[in-house]
Formats: sequence, C-alpha cells, structure tokens
Amino acid sequence: MGEESVIRNVVCPFCGCCCDDIELTVSKNSIISAKNACALSQAKFGSAREERVLRPKERVNGKFSETDYERAVRRSAKILAEAKYPLLWGWSCTSCEAQRVGVELAEEVGGVLDNTTSTCHGPGLLAVHDVGESTCTLGEVRHRADLIIYWGCNPVHAHPRHMRRYTVQSEGRFRKGREERKMIVVDVRNTEAAKMADEFIQIEPNGDYEALTAIRTCLKGEELEQEVIAGLPSTRFEKLADELIDCEFGVMFFGLGLTMSKGKSRNVDAALSLVRDLNSKTKFLAMPMRGHFNVTGANEVFAWQTGYPFAIDFSQGYPRYNPGDTSGVDIASRGDCDAALVVASDPISNFPLEAAKGLASVPIITIDPHETPTTNASDVVLPSAMVGIEAGGTAYRMDGVPLTLRKIIEPPEGVLQDTEILSAILREVKNLNGGR
Amino acid sequence: MTKILLKPKGKFSVPIEASTITPESFASKTLEQMRSLEAWEGNRRTSLDSLFDIEVETDGGEEITILMEGDVSKLRRIGKGMRSGTLTICGTAGMYLGEAMRGGVINVNGGAGSWLGARMKGGTIEVSGDAGDYIGSAYRGSIEGMKGGQIIIRGNAGNELGCWMKKGFIRVGKNVGQLAGIHMIDGTILVEGDSEARTGAQMKGGRIIVMGQTANVLPSFSIEEIRNVVRAGEERLPGPFYVFAGDLAEGGNGRLYVFKEKNPHLGFCEAFIE
Amino acid sequence: MDPANGIECEVKDIAMRGGKIVEEVSSSAKVIDASEMLVMPGGVDIHSHIAGSKTNAARMLRPEDHVTDFERKTALTRSGVGHSIPSTFTTGYRYARMGYTTVIEPATPPLMARHTHEELNDTPVIDKACFPLFGNNWHVMEYLAKGDVEGCAAYVAWMLRSTKGYAIKIVNPGGVEAWHWGGNIRGLDWEVPHFDITPREIIRGLCRVNKMLKLPHAIHVHPNNLGKPGNYSNTIKTMDCVRDIAEDGRAAIHIAHCQFTSFKGEDWSTLRSGAEEIADYVNKNRHVTIDMGQIIFTATTTMTADGPFEYILHQLQGRKWYNADVEAETGAGIVPVVYKRKNFVNATQWAIGLELALLVRDPWRIFMTTDHPNGGPFTAYPRVISWLMSKRAREGAMKRMNQNAIKKANLPSLNREYSFAEIATVTRAATARALGLKDKGHLGEGADADVAIYRVNPKEVDPSNDYRAVRKAMRRAAYVIKEGEMVVKDGEIAKVIEGKTFWVNASVPGDMEVKLQKELLKKFQDYYTIQAENYVIAEDYLARSAPIEQGVAKQ
Repeated sequence: MGEESVIRNVVCPFCGCCCDDIELTVSKNSIISAKNACALSQAKFGSAREERVLRPKERVNGKFSETDYERAVRRSAKILAEAKYPLLWGWSCTSCEAQRVGVELAEEVGGVLDNTTSTCHGPGLLAVHDVGESTCTLGEVRHRADLIIYWGCNPVHAHPRHMRRYTVQSEGRFRKGREERKMIVVDVRNTEAAKMADEFIQIEPNGDYEALTAIRTCLKGEELEQEVIAGLPSTRFEKLADELIDCEFGVMFFGLGLTMSKGKSRNVDAALSLVRDLNSKTKFLAMPMRGHFNVTGANEVFAWQTGYPFAIDFSQGYPRYNPGDTSGVDIASRGDCDAALVVASDPISNFPLEAAKGLASVPIITIDPHETPTTNASDVVLPSAMVGIEAGGTAYRMDGVPLTLRKIIEPPEGVLQDTEILSAILREVKNLNGGR
Repeated sequence: MTKILLKPKGKFSVPIEASTITPESFASKTLEQMRSLEAWEGNRRTSLDSLFDIEVETDGGEEITILMEGDVSKLRRIGKGMRSGTLTICGTAGMYLGEAMRGGVINVNGGAGSWLGARMKGGTIEVSGDAGDYIGSAYRGSIEGMKGGQIIIRGNAGNELGCWMKKGFIRVGKNVGQLAGIHMIDGTILVEGDSEARTGAQMKGGRIIVMGQTANVLPSFSIEEIRNVVRAGEERLPGPFYVFAGDLAEGGNGRLYVFKEKNPHLGFCEAFIE
Repeated sequence: MDPANGIECEVKDIAMRGGKIVEEVSSSAKVIDASEMLVMPGGVDIHSHIAGSKTNAARMLRPEDHVTDFERKTALTRSGVGHSIPSTFTTGYRYARMGYTTVIEPATPPLMARHTHEELNDTPVIDKACFPLFGNNWHVMEYLAKGDVEGCAAYVAWMLRSTKGYAIKIVNPGGVEAWHWGGNIRGLDWEVPHFDITPREIIRGLCRVNKMLKLPHAIHVHPNNLGKPGNYSNTIKTMDCVRDIAEDGRAAIHIAHCQFTSFKGEDWSTLRSGAEEIADYVNKNRHVTIDMGQIIFTATTTMTADGPFEYILHQLQGRKWYNADVEAETGAGIVPVVYKRKNFVNATQWAIGLELALLVRDPWRIFMTTDHPNGGPFTAYPRVISWLMSKRAREGAMKRMNQNAIKKANLPSLNREYSFAEIATVTRAATARALGLKDKGHLGEGADADVAIYRVNPKEVDPSNDYRAVRKAMRRAAYVIKEGEMVVKDGEIAKVIEGKTFWVNASVPGDMEVKLQKELLKKFQDYYTIQAENYVIAEDYLARSAPIEQGVAKQ
C-alpha cells in the first residue's frame, strides 16, 4: 500500500551457500534493499525486474510472435509428446516442487532428464559412486575445523559469504575465530582467496591429480621418487601431508578447478580418497562448492524419485543412468535429441560449442524469467516467476540442508510459476498420450 | 552356418537400442521372427525390420554370423551378452558394443564407441579403427569390470581404459588416452603406442605394458627393476623396460612396464633401483 | 487373524465404511470374497530406512544397486528402481503389494527432517511416521547434564512439533558426538567429550522426558557398541538402565535391530550368539521391547546414524564409505555389504536374529524386521516369516551355511514354530500397539480399514511343512485395502492413494514453553547455521498431516 515492510530470515536464491539470514525491505511490490546480502545476492534481488520475458512467445515462420500460456503450453506439449528423444534440461535454479513435476514430465514423454550437475559437479558425483565421501554439514566446519583447504575454487568470487558464515572467519563452539584456524588454498592462479590464505600452493594447470596422488603416497609412508610434481618440489607435498595429519579437524572444499580440469572425476576421486585416507589418522571431511542455489535439490529430488541424481534416461519407460551417454551435454553434442525443454537455465551460453549447436538445431521450449541466448534460440518461450523472490519452494544447500524459499513480491503481471507451467504441460502431454 | 546381413534403412538420428542383435537372438529363428525382434528408436518400441533390411543365407548350419554394413554409430548394445558366433560390423559401431559378452567374436572394420566390452566375461572383440572411453569397464559404482576375454583395438583408444578390470587382455595398437587401467584389479593391458598420462592410476593389481611414450609416471609408482623381456599373452616383448610397482597410494601391487628407449625422461628413476 | 482382539483363525465378515472398520454396512456395499484366505490387519513396520538424507545419499552412492532391479511406468504407477535402496514410488508400491500399510522411518536428523518429509510425501499408499534423533543432540545433552529434565521435555516437545516427528530416537548416545572428533563411546558410563554427560544419563533423561510427555511410543534405542563382538552385555545394561523409571504395563525402552547388538565373544573368530542372554532378560522384564534386525543372504546396504560403526565396517571391508556428520545433532554412515552363507560371522548373525525371535516368549514384545536395508531389503520379509513358522525351512537354510557357525549356534535345537496369529502379532498387532497407533494393527470397530488378504488358507495349510506356499502368498497379497480403498489386487497395484504422515503434537504447559523459547532463541544462532524460523516445518508441508495430540501434566 506504499508502506515499507521488512522480511527477515529470507533464504537467498543465488549460490549454494543458501544464506538464510537475508533481511529484505519491500515497498510497492519492489525490493528496496537487502541486508546481510553479499554482492551477488544484492545483484539478484536488486535486478529482479531486468531483462524479463513478460509474455509467452512462439516462433512462427522463423520469427517470434507473442502468444498466451494456453497456446504455448499446447505447442510445447505437442513438441515433447511427438519427440522420440527429448532432453529436459536445467532445473538447478528452480524449486524442488518444480523439479518433481519435471521428473514426472520426463517420464511421461520418455525423454532424458538432466540438470546442470552435468556441467559442473557431475564428475564429483561420479567419483562418489566409486569411493564414497566423508562429509558434514557446514555447521560442523564452523564449530570444529582448525584446518580448511580450498582446492580449485575461489569462494571470494563465487561464494562470498562462505568464509565468514561457515569457515575460516566464522565463530564456532570450539574455534573462536580466524586465529584458531589455518587456511590453505591450492590453485593454479593466485586468486583473491589465495591471497587470504595462510598457505598458498600454486600447482601447475592440470596437475591436480598428481598433486593429490603425491600427498596420498606420503600418507602411506612411501617415498616420492620424483623431484618435481605438478610443478612443485616434491618436498612441498611431504610437508603438506604432515600438516594434514597434524590437524584436529580438517575440511577440504573443492570446485571446478578439480571437476573441470584434466582428469575430471578422477581428480575428485583422488581428493575424496585422500580425505578418506586421512580419517585413519585424524578427522577429515570434504565438500563440493555447489554453484547454483538448488542444484543440490535437483540431485536430491531426482535421486529419491528415480534412484539417480542426474542424467536419467526414461526412453524405455524406466530410469537408466550413465553420464557420458545419458548426460545433456553429450546428448546435444552427438545430435541425439530431437527436442528440448529448458527450465531456468541458459545452455546455449554455457554448453561447449558442439553441444550448443546440437541443441540449437532442434525445437527448444524454454521456461525462464529472463531473456537469454537460449530463449532467443527457442521455438516456444514461457516466462516464469523467479524462484526465491516471486515464488516459494524448497531448496537444498550445498551440504544437503533443506530450506524454504519465499515469495517476497508478486511476479510481473500475468507471469506464472514454474510449477504451474510444468503441470499444465504435463496435463496436456497426458491428454495427447491418452494413457499410453 | 547361417549368415544374417543387416543394412540400416536410413540415417539414424536418435539413439537406437539394439541389444537383440546377438547370435543367440537370431539362432533358430525364421526371417519373419528375426524381423520382429525388439529394438528401441529413442522412446519408440519398434522391431528390427523398421530399422534394417535383413537378409539371410543359410546352409542349415548352427553357427551364426551376423554382418552389419553402414553407419551404426547410433546403435547401442549390439552383441550384448553374446555367447557364441560371429558379429561383424563394416562401419562405425556405437556405444556398449559387446557389453557383458561371454563368448564368440565381434569384428569391427571401422571405429567403435565408448564402453566397448564393458563387463565382458569372455570372447574376442577386434576393432580396426579407434575406440572410445571406458573400454572393458564396470558399471558406475560397481567394481565388476571386464572378467575375461580379449579386446584388440588396432587404432587409438580413449580415456579410462580397463576401468575396474578384473581379468582378461586389452591390446591397443596405437595410442591410449589418460588413466589407462584406472582402479585395475587384475588382467593385462598392452599399449603399443603412447599412453597419454596417469597410466595405472589407482591400480590394485594387474599389468600394464607401454611400448611407446608416456609423459610421466604417477608419484605413487616406485621403480622396481629394469627387465629385458616382458610377457604379454603369448608374446614375449623385447625391452628393456622400466618396471614400476604401484599404485602405492592404494596399497596396490600392480606392475607398469614402460619401454625404456622411448622414455629417456624417466631416467631419473634409475637412481632408485636398489 | 486379529490377535489384538483375541481373534485367531476365525471366519468372520469385516465391514468398512468411510475408511474405517464398522460394525455393519448396507447390502449395496461392494463384497470381497476372502473365503479360504488369510486375513490380517495391514502390516505395520516399526523400523525401516526408507526416506531422508542418508537413504538418498545411499541411492546416489550406489547406482549399481539399482541397475538391474527396476519397475517400468504403467498407467497407474510411476517408474522406479529397487533392490536395497528403492526409489520412493517403488518403496510404497512394494510395501503395499506385501500387505503392509504403515511404515516408520526410524532415524531422521532433525536439521534435515524436511528432506525426510519430502520423501515420505512421495512414498505412495502407505501411512508413515519418522523418528527424530536426539541421542547426540547438544541441547539435550546440556539440559540433561544440568539435570533439567523439564527443560529437556519442553525442548523435545518443541522438536517433535517442529520436525513433525513421532518418537524419541537414540542412536549410539554420545558416540556420534565423539565421532565428530573421530572417536567413539564404548560404555554406558563413558564421558562424552566436551559434554558433562554419559550415555546412561542421556538414555535415562530421555526416558523420563518420554514419560513426562506421555509419548505414544517408548524411547527407540540403538545402543552403543553396535556390531562389536561382546556387545550383548552392554545391550542388557542399556535395557536395565531405565528399569527403575519404567511404568507398570508400558514399555519404557525399545531396542532396535537387536541382532546387531546381541554378539557374544571377544573378536570375530570367537563370535557367538548372545541371544539367549538377551531373550532371558526380555522375558523377565516387561519394560522392554525389541525388534529382530534379521539378516538375509544377499548384497545390501548398511546405513545408520552410527557414523563410527560404519567407519569400522568400511575398514574391515575396504570398499566405498559414505559419512555425513550433522551439526549439533547426529551423523550418518553408509557402507555396502554382502552377507554370505559360508561366512562364519554372517551365518552366526543369521542365527542370532532368529534365536531372538524364538527365545523371546511374548510375541507382543518382539517384532519382525530386517532393519531394512541393513539386514536385507524389506521385500525379504516373507522369507523371514517362513523361517519363523517352519523348523524345516530353517534346517534347509542351515544346510547351506557355514557349519562351524551353525554348530556353535543355539538355533538348530530350537523347535518353536510361529503360528499365523503370532506372525500377525509380530508384524502388525504388536508393532501398532508399541507405537501407540490405536487404530492400526487390528480389525476391530473403529480401526483404520487397512486389511491384508493373502491367498493361503490357514485352516488347511500347515506352515511348518508348506512354508513355501506361505512365503509365496505373503509376497504378493491377493487384496490389500487401505483406508477402505482396494489398493492391491492379485499382487498388483490397483489404485494409488496418498498415505498419511503421523506426528506427535507434543505440548508442555505455557510457562515451560515460554522458558524454552527464551533459551532456545539465544542458543540457536550459536549452534546452527540456519535460523530458528527456518528450522520449523509447517504442517501444510506434509501431504496428509495426521497429528496425534499429546500433552504433559505439570509435575
């Protein structure tokens, strides 16, 4: 009504930190300010109305024309129902409630359901299948960790409040603050995080596997025969192995530096194996620095409903899983899919070139709040409300803690939520399939 | 002998599941029955004859030979679990060729995709061209890789060859990608060309022989000796070879044989030979 | 069979209306002819790990577990995967097909309870509930260290309401907090590091809280030293440590999956069954109930909040290991296992589970479980039933096992065979009663219309000889009725409905509540990395909320 109101304990829908202490001041259906929010969070809350898709649109004779949800839903359902191998991609920036509809839709159309895990931490999950993982929730780090390693990631840049809220700069029951913790950064470049570290280990690019293997070898009490490993003197790793054993409670956070450099899932395999090995000498845990605020949720929902966390092929009527085969990027690269549904994601921008080309060559339906290169390449675009700002729902933090996102302001006039749009498409597909 | 010829009817665009293309599936079947064997075209359940022209030549013999001509790179799981007979592909073969095979022979005059011979238990697969990743591997999360038989690739092979391999023989005529023998438990891998990197990573046992170059050896491998001859199957390969034991990070006792002449940069290890 | 109402093998009509069993219905009612079939209340599984963060971590850890056991989508049912860690839709369908209509998820980390409820919401047909974990909770340990049982009760009540939980679950009390430093607790009187308390004090304190809040189920306990040879004596001490606080006629403590904590011997080579000693104690002490935790010879997955136990199991086996510590509360560990007949330890474990069931005389105080999936998948229940009902079945099984283990076990000399009524008791009537679910586990007027009808004639079939027929019949029920709807027909899902989620709306008097809120708010920020407001789960989060009101009388 023109008055300001303050909403507390809001969960931020940006990165995997899912900070839930955001305080928003709202007036006239607009977010005026955000307290406790980092720069990324401020930007997301502040720019909520920018570059929005406001009306459904569809491509007719090569050009976009405005339409309504009903037509757009019908056309989308037709494309998906007629496709022989549709790809349903995205999901990491929407709610668990929407992801659940997505699973049912993928099953109904006999397509492949995949989320952005395929392009970031997929390799990490593949490693977990082989060696498992010793992990914890973020509070454990805050309370107990006296040694924190950031390997192949830069929290200053990608998870700005991570260190203050949960790790090196936080205050816990057993560690009062920065002075009681040691921070080690391992990276190929001297990043902002590296500059804050007590120890920065600069390894040569694509040398992570060798570096981790060297530490594991030392841990086993074996001698290192090479003088230089990953661009550093091998004694560096002998020293590091000792430091790791010496701590009381160590945690390794890792990011795309491991998952996307040469070796990929085996880099994470080596890291998780190292952390596992360390548990025979001290307490040690690992955690992936998940990027999107609900990619973890997508893994969770997919796993409990289908048994698998991503890259799920429903083409034969039941869930099948094999990343490299059933993963979105690979399917698009090979030109295997003949249609795509994209939800809250921009694969035309983020996919490697071959995959983006493969995707662009098939009919695309995109559900997204914003104009993106993907919406511009689509045949049907359905605008949606921003989850965590204009629509509520559940999200999972990077450590698996579930939180409830809120609806703070109304979406732009007439814009629907992901759950509503997906449910409508699902209903229409079921009609077309006639209970097949 | 009964010879069955399959020619794709057109160009495939979506993945085709064709695990019914095995000698066992075709045995004692009429042409009509063969045509109606199940296949999947994406999410459409269909039959072989919608995808292939099928011709049969038989002299009444029981031995089955299947011959496929054309681009079958979109076909998955051809030869799955086969136990006998011959399957020949003149063209590019797709993923999972010969998965869980128990016997018989698969020949490819062309290249093959990834997961070639995954979980194989017996038989022979021979590929004239290049093959993809995860050759002879286990399924995700499982430690049951190749348990027998042999895979021969005359061209190049991709990454993570022999992942979780338990037994059997894999031979690569040219170069292999990185992480050959990853998590290997036993068996033999012979690479006649170069091994890109991280050979024998996390192996617990087994033998890997590299005749060409390898940029480096992992820090978890320790030089044991120099040997003049190394056995691979029935062959005796003349060296000399550096013999490394590893992967020590896994408490492993596998052996990595690297041809000395092609790898002078590994000379530093000689100082550690006792 | 309706042992709760004293009905054993009688031919009767059962009338249902409005989801309830009623005295009679009109002649226009639909009729199911169940003649010559075995009719029981729907099964009530008191302990099965089917939903939540560690169950899902196990699914993600083990794609190889699912790859060969899958279910295709049908017009009525969703697709999914099975074996030891089924996906949620498959879980609901498979339980329903066996005639089970209520299942309890027994170990929920409160911080992640929302996850458990999301999965339970996606588990069709069956009714469910979950038990939040309290045995390593910081607030609980601090209250009890101070001797503030009232404060602890107010906190536990708030927790049950906030996490929509049903009972107090205790796993390796103090041990999981010690594990957060890499250690463990090995005795009831060991001190928990940094907390001025012992497992004995935690168990006793929570037992008092349970009494004070009049919760429908006893404290549900997984004792210290699970899986360690010689642990049976600790289990008896655990059962005994609340004997003096027990109320007459009510169980004060339930020991979960007792097989795993009934080990005699000093090490694995001298492992023996401690079932006789345990059963002896249970027979003499009415304040205790136990469930079997029977193992099945198959590849399965162990998963428990007992993190240190799983680490030890991993070290024994060398295969992959998953661990997840939860701040201020609890933990979890997951390790794949294969139970083998020829393995001395596994064969001994197998015998222990059955010995417990055969030696505890009162079927109202011993329940049939496999601690799914720790002992084996719940789909193996019909097999366990056949072992309970037939000595011949046991003997046939024992022939193929490690003979050294069998020779040393008591089991070959036990002749007892369960009757159909006793089976109905240990799989539904007794479990429902122990849980305080008044409308479950029986077929009297007012009960929920949950009925399982099996194609086996108890008047003609002799289960001792024809155990295969019983096993077959109980694998796929002829009919299953849930809330008066026919959900299973001829072993297939006939209709999918949404089950209820039970939780206890525990409350304390106003002044206790006010005191709690003040203390809680202060400590919450210090202990957790989320806000108190976001910790609480709203009732509408549950697809079908079924609260049970429970209050406390001011002491």
